[in-house]
Amino acid sequence: MPRVVKSREEFEGEIFESLVLVEGKDLPVAPAGTEFSEIAKSRRRVDGQQRVTGRARYTQDVYLPGMLHVRVLRSPYPRARVRRIDTKKAEALPGVRGVLHRFNAPKAAFRGEETIFREEVRFVGDEVAAIAADDEQTAVEALRLIEVDYELLPHVVDLEEAIGDMAPRLDTDGNVAEAATHKRGDAKRGLKEADFVVDATYRTSTQLHNSLETHGAVATWDGEQLTVYESTQHVFGVRQGLRAALKLPFSKIRVLCDYMGGGFGSKGGVGKYSIIASLFTMQLGRPARCILTREEENIAAGNRSATLQQMRIGGKGGRITALEHISWANVGQGKWVANPTGPTNTLYDIANLSSKSYKVVTNAGSLSAFRAPGYVEGTFALESAIDELAEKMGVDPLTLRRKHAASPKDPMVGKRYSDKHLIECYRIGAAEIGWQRRRAGGVRGSAPHRRRGIGMATQIWGGGGGPPAYATVHVNSDGTVVLTCGSQDIGTGTRTVLAQICADELGVELEDVHVRLGDTDNPYGPISAGSLTTASVGPAVRLAARDAREQLLGAAAGVLETPVAELRLESGVVVTKGARTPLAEILGKVDNNTVIGKGGRHPNDPELSLRTFGAHFADVEVDVQTGEITVEHIVAVHDIGRVINPTTARSQVEGGVLQALGFALSEERFVDRATGRVMNANLENYKVPTVKDVPAKITVKFVDRPDRKANNLGVKGLGEPPIIPTAAAIANAVANATGARVRHAPLTRARVLEALAIAGARS
Amino acid sequence: MNAFSYARPRALAEALRMLRNGAMALAGGTDLLGLMKDGLARPDSLVDLTGIEGLRGWSHPKGRGLRIGALTSLVELETSDALAKTMPILRESLQDAATVQLRTMGTVGGNLLQRNRCWYFRDEGTVCWLKGGNRCFAIDGENRYHAIIGAQDCVIVSPSDLVPALLAYDAEIALTSSRGTRQMKLGDLFVTPRGRDRREHALRSGELITEVRVPEAALARRGTYLKAMDRKAWSFALVSVAAAAKFERGLARDVRLILGGVAPVPWRVIAAEKGLEGSALDDAACADAADRLLAGATPLRDNGYKVTLARELVRRALRSLVA
Repeated sequence: MPRVVKSREEFEGEIFESLVLVEGKDLPVAPAGTEFSEIAKSRRRVDGQQRVTGRARYTQDVYLPGMLHVRVLRSPYPRARVRRIDTKKAEALPGVRGVLHRFNAPKAAFRGEETIFREEVRFVGDEVAAIAADDEQTAVEALRLIEVDYELLPHVVDLEEAIGDMAPRLDTDGNVAEAATHKRGDAKRGLKEADFVVDATYRTSTQLHNSLETHGAVATWDGEQLTVYESTQHVFGVRQGLRAALKLPFSKIRVLCDYMGGGFGSKGGVGKYSIIASLFTMQLGRPARCILTREEENIAAGNRSATLQQMRIGGKGGRITALEHISWANVGQGKWVANPTGPTNTLYDIANLSSKSYKVVTNAGSLSAFRAPGYVEGTFALESAIDELAEKMGVDPLTLRRKHAASPKDPMVGKRYSDKHLIECYRIGAAEIGWQRRRAGGVRGSAPHRRRGIGMATQIWGGGGGPPAYATVHVNSDGTVVLTCGSQDIGTGTRTVLAQICADELGVELEDVHVRLGDTDNPYGPISAGSLTTASVGPAVRLAARDAREQLLGAAAGVLETPVAELRLESGVVVTKGARTPLAEILGKVDNNTVIGKGGRHPNDPELSLRTFGAHFADVEVDVQTGEITVEHIVAVHDIGRVINPTTARSQVEGGVLQALGFALSEERFVDRATGRVMNANLENYKVPTVKDVPAKITVKFVDRPDRKANNLGVKGLGEPPIIPTAAAIANAVANATGARVRHAPLTRARVLEALAIAGARS
Repeated sequence: MNAFSYARPRALAEALRMLRNGAMALAGGTDLLGLMKDGLARPDSLVDLTGIEGLRGWSHPKGRGLRIGALTSLVELETSDALAKTMPILRESLQDAATVQLRTMGTVGGNLLQRNRCWYFRDEGTVCWLKGGNRCFAIDGENRYHAIIGAQDCVIVSPSDLVPALLAYDAEIALTSSRGTRQMKLGDLFVTPRGRDRREHALRSGELITEVRVPEAALARRGTYLKAMDRKAWSFALVSVAAAAKFERGLARDVRLILGGVAPVPWRVIAAEKGLEGSALDDAACADAADRLLAGATPLRDNGYKVTLARELVRRALRSLVA
């Protein structure tokens, strides 16, 4: 009988209690050391060939007959009232088919607002109008012909200016709002009792996602049904957003995302571009394509908030006595904040702790989730401060961390962890980097003006996943399999990993499993975010495959006239004591044609805290005269339960490390304070690491033990963990090498040279 | 990008005629196409020079100096082993310039004439002083990449990697137009925009660079090129330095010292070079040269680090000549 049970999920640092309808019993976790046929095996991506040959169809590749091209007019001012819009000249341009703006567009709810074209535009890049034309060039030209009368209003774009008294108030309650707070013990007393206190301010700059594929949608309305191709991490989320905006029932909206060129958190739901494309196709009866340019992507499609963080941390007798953390984050026009205090609250068993997180609104583009939102920023401050304290106390920074990292209980909520191997991560990482070689003050590098040092930092994150997630497994009469679920592969290898789980449980060859994803006509799949896909969808796939296998073995038992207990299904062959019969042969003898297995994710144990852990170690060389940092070696160790595919897992970690390298060393958005314009909304001056910046060596290690209380596979997520601790590990290594403490990421030449001068490291 | 007409003549005279009539010259397109896409150049017609014979490749007739055709691709200069023996500084300056794709398309002439990279200048929505507006936004805006010295109304910096290297070897350029030909010192091509003269180059309208010439005597110099970047590839110089000198009994002669990325033009101070004549380029002499080179530097809010970088690169470059 289906029943409703309690579950507890974590998403991007927030905990949700939920009720879930479940059916049947979950499967037990295979113990460590189990030999699988597909799980825990390195497999190339099942769609790798499609991707590298250019045959994979991304949203930007969707060109439909008669399609209109949509371009958006964006505010050139950081804050202004749109008084009047004159589109006569634009509409007179041959090839222009439609114009939308605040005076003619239908109401369309979007993130708590009633319309997508605001009366008061609030950042450079805010949507003012949209043009649909026969071709892109005409749409671009038409944008130039729209005349807008703006009434300019006072603005502020900088975080620290927005906090100050002189800034214009953008919200009625002011620019600063408390977003989260946590207290345990008595931090004030703990600091008073400490023998050593570090009181320092850290900053992190705004990081842009720069997904290879920009945001965008192609929408087509056939009079009955709206179909939207969208580059998204959540087809069901887009459908939800379109339903709210367009007042259509779910059954009339289909959202598709087959191949996807990265999102990193920024493509979590519907965008204004999808609503605009949908409005045009519904008005004009032709498909409409609205794909952002790189510049639009970098001014209006989200970012990782810049932060200002104050840390006070006290130590005594080789231990941390207290920790105080106050954070301010520039969310632009965002309505939420990614709390940098998450790692502070949860990583270490520190008795006296207090944290506060403030959201600061400004006239800049909104934040959006960005791979471990908040945790990347917070870990930079926290793990830098811990190293600074260790330095002051004269203790080894890893030893200091070990004393607070062993607890089996989540220090914030008091629940036991389902599993935790952080100390093991430290052990593996220290051995790989050669921590015993680390010397206080660093060592000489490859030249007299170069210093070399080692640093590390710790990672905590969720990644336990949870319900709801469903899958169906269709076995065709020739023994091939179609695995269907509503999840999407955003480039992480989801398609491959789910195929492996399916093939393994079902007992068929990997190449016989075809995976269908990214379609709201499929059973529901969760957002591909929060490092939750493998741990949410994987167990559902396993149950669906098990359901199908039981039916197949039933069929085989009947056909072969052998008891089920004596049958096995291996590599698409039914094995009995004396014979091997291909599955296709069995299915050829029954007329069912399709065998359908289904599975749904079972709940998490609400009494447990599900977390992933890890540690990164960095070995760097610093030119103390020019401030140039060269990262020689990163060791990344992660505890994510059982690893399904070591190859795709390794890719995830390398990708995380490189994206973190950008955050640590070179990526930084610049906004002109006077005009509110983003000065580097391009790939020339927004400096993503190049192949030459990649460390000479990246060592990836996993504890690789199944988390037996997490889910039926013993897996947890890996999307976000590898970006979290790298920047702090690098900053700590730079400090070890040179004595210079850089408290602002990225560690640019200017900041490193300034810190070197303060440390007296430049001779 | 606006609509434009396009022609690819075979004869230089034909190209010059079109230039006289207002066409813009297109060679590798690595700068011009970007300017057009960003709405900063809106030519009605383009004349593609790549079909013209005789402006490509380099030669070194014995004792008569080095000649480099203006249409020679940067990658050709970079990868020529023979050239690397004659004038190794070229390879040094080019291997960290842009990317291999850009160096493959980009030409020598285009490199000399590329426009600055100031992000206010490059932003179509900002009408800055250089584009005819009233003010330079960088002076009190976001200026980490801007000039620390030699600027007046506009704080752009000279972006080229090739130019300082060529200047260290006293390069000259040949120019031609439908009115005739002339030759000038490469250094004279670059002008500091000021007052009513809002130009970066002293090229006359309708004029083309056809050749770069390096005098034979200069080829006796040792030279080096150092560049500091924000990442390890595909970045314009934060600061770059080209240094060259010949040595007689261990003492430097004909010293040349040019900085890129610090001033609106390639930055050279004759007194700094003269001060090194006959020196062994010891640390004190290097520091003295850096002092003279950077005397009068007035860093802006975010670019003081360039002074530190410049001093160190100057020291390193000069020291490496004697190492």
